[in-house]
Amino acid sequence: MQRQDIEAAVLLHAPNVTYATGFVPDATDASHANYRRAVAIVPVAGPARLFAHPSVNADPTSLDVLAESELWPELDDGMPQLHRVLHESIGDLEGRRIAVDAVTGAMARAGILDGADLVDASRVVGPARLCKTEDEVACIERAQILNERAMEIARQHCVPGARRSDVAGALLAELRRLGSDHNEIDPIFQVMSRRRTDGVVTDVGEVAFPTGIEDPEFAEGDLVWVDGGHGYEGYASDYGRTWIVGRDPNREERDCFERWKSIMGATIASVRPGATLADVARAATDANDGTRPWLAHFYVGHAVGLDSAEMPMVGSDLGDEFDAGFVLAEGMILVLEPIVWLDGVASYRAEEIVVVTADGARVLTSSPGYWPYAGSDDRLVPS
Amino acid sequence: MTSDALLTDRRDRVLAAMADADLDVLVLGRQDDANFAAGMHRLWTAGTRPFGAGCIVVRSTGRTHVLSSWDAGLPATMSVDDLYPATWNPRIMAGYLAEVPGLSTARRIGVDEVSPSFARAAARIAPGATVVPADDVIAAARCRKAPEEIELIRQSCAVARMGVEAVLKDPSDGIARAIIAMAAQGATIPSSAPSARSLPDGFTIDIGVIVDGYEGGIGGRFIAAGRVSRSKLPAACRAGATHRDLTLAATDANWLVRGLGMGFEKPVMNTRLGTGQVLEQGMVLSVSDGEHRDVVLVTAGEPEVLSIARAEETVERRES
Repeated sequence: MQRQDIEAAVLLHAPNVTYATGFVPDATDASHANYRRAVAIVPVAGPARLFAHPSVNADPTSLDVLAESELWPELDDGMPQLHRVLHESIGDLEGRRIAVDAVTGAMARAGILDGADLVDASRVVGPARLCKTEDEVACIERAQILNERAMEIARQHCVPGARRSDVAGALLAELRRLGSDHNEIDPIFQVMSRRRTDGVVTDVGEVAFPTGIEDPEFAEGDLVWVDGGHGYEGYASDYGRTWIVGRDPNREERDCFERWKSIMGATIASVRPGATLADVARAATDANDGTRPWLAHFYVGHAVGLDSAEMPMVGSDLGDEFDAGFVLAEGMILVLEPIVWLDGVASYRAEEIVVVTADGARVLTSSPGYWPYAGSDDRLVPS
Repeated sequence: MTSDALLTDRRDRVLAAMADADLDVLVLGRQDDANFAAGMHRLWTAGTRPFGAGCIVVRSTGRTHVLSSWDAGLPATMSVDDLYPATWNPRIMAGYLAEVPGLSTARRIGVDEVSPSFARAAARIAPGATVVPADDVIAAARCRKAPEEIELIRQSCAVARMGVEAVLKDPSDGIARAIIAMAAQGATIPSSAPSARSLPDGFTIDIGVIVDGYEGGIGGRFIAAGRVSRSKLPAACRAGATHRDLTLAATDANWLVRGLGMGFEKPVMNTRLGTGQVLEQGMVLSVSDGEHRDVVLVTAGEPEVLSIARAEETVERRES
């Protein structure tokens, strides 16, 4: 904020509020999350003020910020109070440079921020959130370990005759038993067709994933792309694997996995401080004989933090120039997710989270098991 | 499942509300607003999202356009030509938006939220347009429920009740049991955060769930034989009821009456909020009086409590 002459940040988007204050709102449907938003007001000289609804999952009194009673930025009725606290914290807004991440209809109608020079809060919070501290990495690792443990239970339910929703229920229940009440996505267990054109495809004819809308009954031999994430202290995990329902992989499926493993190994080996995103994308592509091993609407890697997908993104449609100009630094996180697709035969997709260390990268996982392809002692890179 | 007739009805309600508010285009970033207007099934994620053009409704063409790279989940009321693909690149997104028929020539564009960068992008894409807040426009369209919406909410409430029963059946495993029981009905999306606190003689439970886009929920103090908490607040939710009427009926200072449909909706009334609000026939409300919570339909006569079972009710397992 100091570098950009921004005098205050008004934050309404949950990950930004969490970053500024430590408060983690309940993981609820977006409609509930919008109405029951926590709000953070951060003057450049500090301290951050937090206005939060009572939460089932958090105790705001434990935080080193000023925790105050809730605001209702969705409601016209909530505007007098919001106006009052903004002026207490910032004073007259006329001509002042204020960072904000959302302006609700009620705020616009009441002219709450009129006269201020508004900029996107992502310009402030985005760069601050790029490099993770040791504590942040520990939260992501903890989230990932719990996610892996719950997925171990879920996969035991992914059997012929079970539905996606049953497996999702087993996962969500196990997360709850492990003490997590912060699931962030309706878990994905998507049955993939063997031939690209037999399934749903994107506008450019690629595999559509994750559609997240069907509740299929699994049959023996189904290839299931799995993806799920929950948060620990607000920090997200990202579990990705490919499962086969009810049987061991055949030779073609195993070959597909082995190819994926060599691509993942080469991609991880390219991650180090000073490397660019383009270097990482190139390592993945070179290991796949010159073809990009990812879907055009996505990327081969993205960061995870208080958002489940955040900057930087590797190989996205931000373009090659963006990738070439973005240099990795210690503390950055990448979730790498190459895909091997042998059309008409098999596919394999899985994800690993790595943190950029002083001289390379470390995989955040307790046991990178690749059931039913390989055991938990099967390491991608020497640890 | 939601019928095509309901999807058409919802879109028509949005278009009528746009006409009343003199809006040429409505840009919706909120998932629930987009789902209401377009009815396209998409992946659910928890929590707030940064504002983006998730759905665009154009009054002159009557079309809804949705951000999606594929047609899975596309309802029969939309065409594949109504989709624009996902992108991480703001310049590419601006290009997609500029191609939406009727957007670049719009005079008045309504938004359900806005960010500084979207306001700037809109000024470039539609130079002649004024961008105005329209969260109240879509809220008004959503406020009174169609009969099919009421039945969808009733079914979601029945699923939430199964969650409560599962907690009572195996109290040692609490909410995990509720999650499994509701998932067996195909329901894996929560609305509010579920809670179950044990008491000497039972449990305080509150469960909210979204099934086929519509919310259901129930809360209260329960013993093995059923719910023992009581409240006069649901019965006070009659057409014409005022803030004062609700205040008099509530037993707990911590009462909340809010709209319920495709999630949390307007109106919102508690001790401080909604003092000028009057309840209208056709509203569905989540009515909380302390730990007790019911879902209530406001009718011309006695309010109908949708969260308690009708005698003949059976819930069939959801079709895949």
